[in-house]
Amino acid sequence: MRKQMGEIMIDHRASPGLPEEIARWAGYDPRFCREGKVYMQKTMTCAHCRGAVVPNIFRTRERHSCAKCSHHYICDACAYEMTLPDYVHTPFEKKVDIVKQGSPQKLLFP
Amino acid sequence: MSKRLFQVSSFTPTQQADGVLSAGTFAALKAGSATDILKIGKVLLEGQASSSAVTATCLARSSTLAITPTALALPNSDATVNIAATVATTLPVAMVAAATPPNRSPAVTIARLNLTFNAFGGIIQWQTNPGSEEEWVSVGVATTSNSETVLSSANVGAAGLIGANIFYEVL
Repeated sequence: MRKQMGEIMIDHRASPGLPEEIARWAGYDPRFCREGKVYMQKTMTCAHCRGAVVPNIFRTRERHSCAKCSHHYICDACAYEMTLPDYVHTPFEKKVDIVKQGSPQKLLFP
Repeated sequence: MSKRLFQVSSFTPTQQADGVLSAGTFAALKAGSATDILKIGKVLLEGQASSSAVTATCLARSSTLAITPTALALPNSDATVNIAATVATTLPVAMVAAATPPNRSPAVTIARLNLTFNAFGGIIQWQTNPGSEEEWVSVGVATTSNSETVLSSANVGAAGLIGANIFYEVL
């Protein structure tokens, strides 16, 4: 397992497995989700929202990464947010810092 | 802190659309205090259905946290894996019911992990490198999409009986 990845294992060795359309909907390879099969796939975690995703192996579009996060993988939703004009780079560690520090102090005007 | 295990021995995560979830159809976990961080490193689901049941479970975040969670009761459990471990100052909140159940985040910009399998004899396991930055993280107790994690089923298929184990750590 690479450092940037998790792993999912779906064991249908003692199960009828998943119908092809459901397997495709879930982003799995249908050939390995049938009765008697075991499907193993890497998962990737987004550097910005810390959500984990099972990559769709049929995807041909590029996946996104963030240069400011050492080119770590970011999910489609966070990649979209990065395209917005008022976007401020907010990796998950920064969100944690904000939550742990509480609300920022308000400026007091005389 | 020590690794903890939130275990729900048997429940049916009835398939449902995003929104406020029905009691008994979910397993949710949130930190005990505003400064705690929960890191989920492994999810293991075991199918217990007696006939074929496509169960589209997913690990998602709550857009509105559960209000007045019902205290967890046996046979479900949530405790440190190491029986001799030092107990956290503020215990996390693990629940399968609440006066107002959690609202599964309907935002397309909030990630969720699809854990679809057949609950008739199927097993699914998701895990990351222990202690790595790939773990599923939630932080604090704020009413945002960062604080509460919920295991439930998407509105697909016809969910069957399952058992759930969520391995996590409190930081």
